[in-house]
Amino acid sequence: MAVTETEYGPGRTIPHPVMFRVLDSEAEDTTIPEIKVVHKAEVAYYPGCVDYYDVEMQFSHMNYGDTNHGIIFDSSIKLLRAVGIEPMVLDRSFMKCCGHDQLWQGKVDVFEKMRDYNTRIIKMLGVKTLVTSCAEGYRTFRLDYKLDGVRVVHITQFLYERGLRIPPQPETARKVRVAYQDPCRSCRQMPVGAVYEEPRELIKRVDNAELVELKTFRADAQCCGVAQMMYCNDKTKGLTRKRMDEATEVQADYLLTACPKCLTHFGCLHHENRWKPGEERYGYKVMDITQFLAERLPGDYPTGGNVDARRKEPPLPGRKGGGS
Amino acid sequence: MELERVKERVLEGRPGFPRAYGPARVDHQPGIPLFPQEATRDLVVIFLLTAIMFFLSSYLTPFLGPARSPQISELIVPDWYLLFSWGLLKIADIFPTFTLGAGTPLAAEFNPVFWGDVLSGIPIIALLLLPFLDRGREARPAKAPIRSAIGTASIAAIFTASLYSIREVISERWLSPNGAPLIPDNTQKWFFVIPPILVGLVTYTALRRLGYQPMRRWLVPNVTVPAIIVCAQSAAILLLPGWLGAEALPYVVWIAVHLVLLSAASAAVAVAVIALPETRARDVSAWTIVLAVLAFAGLSIYMDATDRNGYSWVLSVLYPNMNTLLLLPMFAVMTAWLGTRRPYSTYEYLLNECYQCGKCHTVCPVTKVEDDALGGLNLVYNTFKKQHDGVPLWTCLACDACSAVCPLDIKYSDYILEERAKVHAKMAADGGEREWP
Repeated sequence: MAVTETEYGPGRTIPHPVMFRVLDSEAEDTTIPEIKVVHKAEVAYYPGCVDYYDVEMQFSHMNYGDTNHGIIFDSSIKLLRAVGIEPMVLDRSFMKCCGHDQLWQGKVDVFEKMRDYNTRIIKMLGVKTLVTSCAEGYRTFRLDYKLDGVRVVHITQFLYERGLRIPPQPETARKVRVAYQDPCRSCRQMPVGAVYEEPRELIKRVDNAELVELKTFRADAQCCGVAQMMYCNDKTKGLTRKRMDEATEVQADYLLTACPKCLTHFGCLHHENRWKPGEERYGYKVMDITQFLAERLPGDYPTGGNVDARRKEPPLPGRKGGGS
Repeated sequence: MELERVKERVLEGRPGFPRAYGPARVDHQPGIPLFPQEATRDLVVIFLLTAIMFFLSSYLTPFLGPARSPQISELIVPDWYLLFSWGLLKIADIFPTFTLGAGTPLAAEFNPVFWGDVLSGIPIIALLLLPFLDRGREARPAKAPIRSAIGTASIAAIFTASLYSIREVISERWLSPNGAPLIPDNTQKWFFVIPPILVGLVTYTALRRLGYQPMRRWLVPNVTVPAIIVCAQSAAILLLPGWLGAEALPYVVWIAVHLVLLSAASAAVAVAVIALPETRARDVSAWTIVLAVLAFAGLSIYMDATDRNGYSWVLSVLYPNMNTLLLLPMFAVMTAWLGTRRPYSTYEYLLNECYQCGKCHTVCPVTKVEDDALGGLNLVYNTFKKQHDGVPLWTCLACDACSAVCPLDIKYSDYILEERAKVHAKMAADGGEREWP
């Protein structure tokens, strides 16, 4: 059936990015591979699809690596080590995607497969506490999975209850204003365990950071603009821009979020509005809250923070990476 | 059906409707508290009214006429709305009579008078305790199935108690052909308690089902056990010697027809509920109800016209066992029919509460950027009115900003989940992907 002209114009279809094709076909294969558990622990960390996002963002020319999703993984491990936890990493080599996007796109069959597979592995490995650094993963594991006996926590909750201490910043560090975007999945949509206070408390523990609230915050927080990767068009960009303008209004230096999807869309717009290096519409940095906290801790990232060592400066802007 | 299965799976494991999604509500309306302000004012009014009544009854007692002699009428009954209380007093003789501490100054006698007082007090005590026991804020029956079941059971109990209060009339008025009361006192006593229980069970099953619960665990025993009881008792009446009196034997064919009809109706729904998919089981139970009612009506009209004596003998078998033979088949088919009822769509169910305050539209972020919003695009309202060609459904971000401000806690994202799953199920049924619409 061809695309029909509706009164709202054509193209109101779900664009299935390559990523979803990959994830959907991945869900078909339910054979459990051989799992090498490097560090067996009751606390497990599920990084989510961050590696896929990096590939997808570069594949679809949304940015060229300056929005770093992979660093969420390294930051989380670094932070968990800082509170004395060496987690068992539920790696994507044997876990599947949590299925949030598939569920919300209506692909219940695919979601079911992923859910059953993941549940089986989580039970098999004897996980007692499942830490996730992703708001969507938090919601999905906690509400849409049936993980009886497994405690699902967002990493900010876990760090807060384990008492993460950020050491005093050097004298030379300037004061920064930090705004926090409440992801809808971990805040409004959670009947129990909504994550409102923990990220804010953690930000306040950084001594040179001043927490500023955006125009809409907590339960009223505006969405980042794109949900479950459904479309990307000028309307969704408009929503993202509204949200980012709110951060401009409060003169924030950092816009933090706890959801890799928010990071994707903010990063995309941030990148799009920067035609030359240094000429940015948005004069603040967009990053995940784990990255912000981990940067303030001494020590290196466990695996080098997913940063390409050969790259010394950010890539040139433009559709083809600065080339022709 | 594919859609049904998908819907079941989407909503499987979701703990029912009164799911407290969203942040805790803090927008309680300010007002004058009940205690002490309102309570003080009400006390003043209560004392004033009591004083007026005391005054009137002391000084202005009207002459009510001479008391009626009990010999004038043989049947003295209270007003109809007090019959249930009278019934409660009469049923009290089933309780044991004994005396505690006999011979001591503290001797307490437990006799029917005492038990009758206790029974009459129970409804009042329950009404007094109700506000303390039931603290929920849900007023709609389907959202409070236990409370509703207790309520309908109480209403049924009022009727059965009223019926029991005229037990002497029933015993004298309806006689079987051999002169014995058609409905023995024992049957009447059981008829006091069994209908309320059955009504409560039916209500609970039906309402939970309406609220999307898979009620199979309730449905199967509630339908199967009555069917087994009815079949067993019918077989016993017909086959075992001594159950049918010698006078009834000439009419055994008609009795058998009635008993087989009752057994067949209850067995049919039991088999349907166990073996068939739910929609088919519902069809079967509906047809069972219709056919059984028609058959019974036809039978009684026919027998009334041709063989009245035979019909009296049929009734003299059915009525003494009416708690099992008549009530249980009705219970089984009603449970099967209501318990397989197709539930509302979640959204329809929840949105019935909507009073269209429009807060959701005000906060909806999509309408801030969509040009269509100027032309009246309202995601929530348009979808509710089914005035959508798919745009509101797929444009929604499921960010739940609408639910956060909803005064009634309606979860729009539930609807989004359900409808999107339906679309994909349709696609799958069509054998591939399909563009919307």
